Amino acid sequence: MNWFGFGFNGFGQIRANEKSYDGESTRDIKLTSPISLVVCRNLKSSEICQHVTRIRTSWSRIAALHSTSNRRLCLAGFGVEHPSRGCGGCVEESKECQDAQISEEYLALSFTDRVEIQSLRNQNKQEWTMETDNTAGLEFPLVPGGYIASKPPFFRPLSPQLVAVTLALGTEHAVLLSASGNVYTWGSGSHGQLGHGDLSPQNEPRAVEALMGMQMSSVAAGGWHSACTSAGRDLYVWGWNESGQVGLPSRALRTGQQDTQPAGSASTSRDQEESGDDVFISIQAFPALVDVTESCEVSKISCGSRHTAAVTSKGDLFTWGWGEYGQLGQGTLSSSDEPKPVEFFKDNGLCVVDVVCGPWNTYVCAIIKEPSSC
Amino acid sequence: MAGLWSAISAALPVTEAEFPLDFSEKVEPSILEVLKRCRQQLYTRTCQWMQDAQVILDFSWEKLNTGTWRDVDKEWRCVYSYGCLFKVAALCREDASPVTLQEAIRTCDMGLLMGASIIDNILQRIVRILQDVIRKWPYKEDPSEGVSAKKMKSDDSAPAPIVNQALVVPRVNCPSLERFKTEYLDPQMPVILEGVIDHWPAFSNHPWSLEYLQTIAGCRTVPVEVGSRYTDENWSQTLLTVNEFIDRYILGKNTTGLGYLAQHQLFDQIPELRDDIRIPDYCCLGEGDEEDITINAWFGPGGTVSPLHHDPQQNFLAQVVGRKYIRLYSPENNEKLYAHQSQLLHNTSQVEVESPDEVRFPEFVKAPYLECVLQPGEILFIPVKHWHYVRSLELSFSVSFWWS
Repeated sequence: MNWFGFGFNGFGQIRANEKSYDGESTRDIKLTSPISLVVCRNLKSSEICQHVTRIRTSWSRIAALHSTSNRRLCLAGFGVEHPSRGCGGCVEESKECQDAQISEEYLALSFTDRVEIQSLRNQNKQEWTMETDNTAGLEFPLVPGGYIASKPPFFRPLSPQLVAVTLALGTEHAVLLSASGNVYTWGSGSHGQLGHGDLSPQNEPRAVEALMGMQMSSVAAGGWHSACTSAGRDLYVWGWNESGQVGLPSRALRTGQQDTQPAGSASTSRDQEESGDDVFISIQAFPALVDVTESCEVSKISCGSRHTAAVTSKGDLFTWGWGEYGQLGQGTLSSSDEPKPVEFFKDNGLCVVDVVCGPWNTYVCAIIKEPSSC
Repeated sequence: MAGLWSAISAALPVTEAEFPLDFSEKVEPSILEVLKRCRQQLYTRTCQWMQDAQVILDFSWEKLNTGTWRDVDKEWRCVYSYGCLFKVAALCREDASPVTLQEAIRTCDMGLLMGASIIDNILQRIVRILQDVIRKWPYKEDPSEGVSAKKMKSDDSAPAPIVNQALVVPRVNCPSLERFKTEYLDPQMPVILEGVIDHWPAFSNHPWSLEYLQTIAGCRTVPVEVGSRYTDENWSQTLLTVNEFIDRYILGKNTTGLGYLAQHQLFDQIPELRDDIRIPDYCCLGEGDEEDITINAWFGPGGTVSPLHHDPQQNFLAQVVGRKYIRLYSPENNEKLYAHQSQLLHNTSQVEVESPDEVRFPEFVKAPYLECVLQPGEILFIPVKHWHYVRSLELSFSVSFWWS
């Protein structure tokens, strides 16, 4: 399995910043095309990151979980030195770690018998721990009886009646998939991210009525938007469409070049918008069915702060939303309000199997394409 | 334009050590590192810091949009202002073409609109430097817009509704503080005050005209409401320069939509305009300090409508240019006014005041009201919680003072 990354590289989390001869570091903070991920330098270069099973991200770092090396976790990005030999980012006491969650402040490690939270501000000092029996293999950040939040209080209880299967945490909201295939959301609804049709907050998990009666199979949460896929592999997205992240026509994208262009040249596009009958979606407060391709079958979905990435059952990657750091992987710094394929993988005979969006970047797992495997 | 860069440099703290970057724990070490890197590059000038400035802006912008605006930590508004400062410095270091200058001014305005004051309000000082440069530029007048079109004229004024004399808001000429307090403030009675604002420079030394506003504020970016009324579905807000706003929505070029520079604290953003107005003396009858008074600008063409709503503070609505038709309902009539149910619009009525749907809102027509046409030079006192509906009859500029 090969992991690739693109988008925001301001802390060398995708590709370490090389020191050049004059001591001046050359920094490439926007990577617009996928490149092979270098997290752990423990191994010979040919073996780099062959055994990473999971990627977890924050704005300035990534955490890579290995299937070998006793399932250790390695960090890259802010505050992680890259020595010329060996691995600078290996987290002490992460042996037998099952999964992790990382924010700017904290690293949460999930083990079969406990959850540990380390302070990243304070030299990975252990901040909090909780014993828990997770031999049942709940998907982190779910733990028996509740879930682990990205800031204190770390443990938040959930009603056992929900029978949670997957939980996705957005900036200020949460999206939960229940065993029965229903989607529940709670937290801030200021940008329609809860999908209940209004902008009010919800303190308790509330079923997304518009999706009731359809079996859902996965959920994702971004900065101010949410997504889920159905058992029939349809994709639903809702929330803020400021950068086109919902995949519907965005006023800012179609008309708002005024942000980056001199005023004079922006006026024509704006006026067209006013005279035309185009409908722009700023906030999509109910789930919207989004067609990624004509015969859309979505197998994986992930949301960044303001962008979205989907893997189709054919092993193609599509991205849309905010692209100014290259997080769409399409070789440009443009945003897009419609799903577009990332040609890199197809061009290189790769079949995409997983995608994990960081806030401003995207990580993709791909394998060599064999006709039977995709 | 070496002169521009040296003027900007002179506004900055002299040394890197004197350039403060002190934040609480809220501002994480990762973003702090970017801020420090920017500062270092600004002073050593070794390489370009534009990208980092944009990272700071994008990161803090997301923080500003997290949670309700009221609850956004001031630290993030400061970080946003630093991002604007670094970006302006990077822009002005690159070149000083008109396009770059305009973008630098816009960046300062974004900081003034969304950020918080940093380093002795450095963005305010820099925008002044930039405006001075742009004013010295040989201004290219668009040949299509003759000077005559720029006068604050009222050609296309709508006919004023016939005001029922039995319902008219009373008028009083320059009452004493005592009289205003006992007859209007204490009993919460609306009144039009005459002869109170005539001495404003906005009427005398610097009479407000489109030309004057374009000279003082033409290149400044302001928030504009687009759509007939804020309760409409297709209503939106956008950011335009004052020049763009005047061209599109006042002189009416290439557009059919209605634009309104409404409820904006323009006078904090542009101190030169603040000098043209005065806080009415009657505000001293309130309990708050002068700094607690919110001064808003309301500038737009004829036909702008503020739907029937009420505000949580006493209001002096001062009319500087053009006339406005205003209708007032006292708070006793709340039940007859059909406020919106949603949290966001609970202070706003669902009724279209001048063409009410009597089937949906049968009680509305039974509610007693007062009305008036407010003329330039007059102030309307709108007591707190009093419902008001406002429609401009022609090109209009009003200034509101919210006080308690």
